[in-house]
Amino acid sequence: MAGHVGVLLHVTEPIDPKLWEWLSDRIDHTLGISPETMIYLIGTFIVLFPIVLLILVWRQRRKFR
Amino acid sequence: MSPDPKEKKQGIYYGWYVVAALFFATFIAIGARQGFGVFVNTWEQDWGVTTATISIAAATGWLVNGISQPFVGRLTDIYGGRRVVVLSLLVMAIATMGISLITNIYGLIALYGFVISFASGGISPATTGVIVARWFEKKRGVAMAVLISGGSVGGMIVVPFLSYVLIEYGWQTAWLMVGGLALAFGVPLLIIVVRSNPIDMGLEIDGRISDRSLGAKIIVRPVGPRFAKKWRDSLRSKPIWQLSVAYFVCGITTASIAVHFVRWAVSEDITTGTAAIAFGVLSGINATGVLVIGLLSDRWQRKNLLGAVYVVRALAFISLFVLPGPIAIWAFAVIGGMSWLATVPLTASLTADVYGVRNLGTLFGFSNMAHQLGGAAAVMLFGWAFTAWGSYDIPFVIGAALLLAAGVVSFSIREKKHSVRYVQVQADAAIDSNTAVTDSV
Repeated sequence: MAGHVGVLLHVTEPIDPKLWEWLSDRIDHTLGISPETMIYLIGTFIVLFPIVLLILVWRQRRKFR
Repeated sequence: MSPDPKEKKQGIYYGWYVVAALFFATFIAIGARQGFGVFVNTWEQDWGVTTATISIAAATGWLVNGISQPFVGRLTDIYGGRRVVVLSLLVMAIATMGISLITNIYGLIALYGFVISFASGGISPATTGVIVARWFEKKRGVAMAVLISGGSVGGMIVVPFLSYVLIEYGWQTAWLMVGGLALAFGVPLLIIVVRSNPIDMGLEIDGRISDRSLGAKIIVRPVGPRFAKKWRDSLRSKPIWQLSVAYFVCGITTASIAVHFVRWAVSEDITTGTAAIAFGVLSGINATGVLVIGLLSDRWQRKNLLGAVYVVRALAFISLFVLPGPIAIWAFAVIGGMSWLATVPLTASLTADVYGVRNLGTLFGFSNMAHQLGGAAAVMLFGWAFTAWGSYDIPFVIGAALLLAAGVVSFSIREKKHSVRYVQVQADAAIDSNTAVTDSV
């Protein structure tokens, strides 16, 4: 049973852990960016998206009120 | 009929803001859920459990998510999509943050396997797709495609984000941060921006002015030619079964490849690095392909595109057992990439076109459940087959044959007879559906 569900586990994995390790090494090597900087870069993108969208919606609603 | 001045002043149609907000919810929800695999090794070390034990939480989550689809779809049909997506993301965000507090596998099974996986069913096409279908008719295909691409982008951005936070600050902080982002930004965004129906913003579908106000007797609106007031009656018609059977094959072929592609590559003496690049190529082509298919589907018959997508994917599967491994991997990445997620917006749009949007959540929820359960079964069967025969050739042959069959089934859908794009619907039925759900949170 455990072996069978073990196969299923990987369904939720977006990427094989070994692949991710290899990819992240490549990215770090190519860009020379530390993990902490990557956190801030990706985090900023995630936060900015809803903020920009809310501003656009607010402007649209104000414009046509 | 002269254009209403209000229509000119409207600017960007508000439906696109709704799509953008749902894109973000999908992005964060799917990304967080897909990040599970990143933490397996850490949990094994912290809790002293095996991969197989953690598998129980993942497997439970996979099945619960599949089974949840018709239920959340039904809730969407009854209470409106806005309430369902807001509540789902709220529950999911809190539960995601809660993972940072758990100390054993039982907590993981409870929170991830049941709560998060069920709640994430509420941020699936069975709910978000219904909202988009209510806002769009003419550009339904491309709007669905943009929405669906949110899941892909989430996987590409949120998962690396979780990985970096894991490296720097530990797994508890990673879950706390992603749950916190969903709670602080995702939930308010949905509450403020999303409306279940255009009528909630004083608009009509596609941003048009009301035909009823102009005295039109025939309008092409929220019900489809095969609309039935009771959703069970829709199951007696052919298109829902044609779409669901083909979608079942979609689940089989995508889930099996998601799991077994790397194992197959290794069995063909292909390096992990090459497999990684091939996956990157597949993802990149897929992100572009789904948007192109979305655009085309608003111009051409969707069933032909759907059939073509299955046939193209069948060709990708055929390349895996016909071509030598090092060539096959690239052939699969390019050909398969063109078809990967393109079935989702096409299937969702076609279901909406044929049955209307009133019971769309329930009906597409059933198709989604078939997709998920087919995927779960296929993953295990592919694994058993490889263990038994030491090769994936037979599963790939079966996969190709099923895809060709799914293509034939899709081509055989009589879209011009069943779709609202080609058949006009009586006004009384449309009005009945249009007034079915108006809500506010």
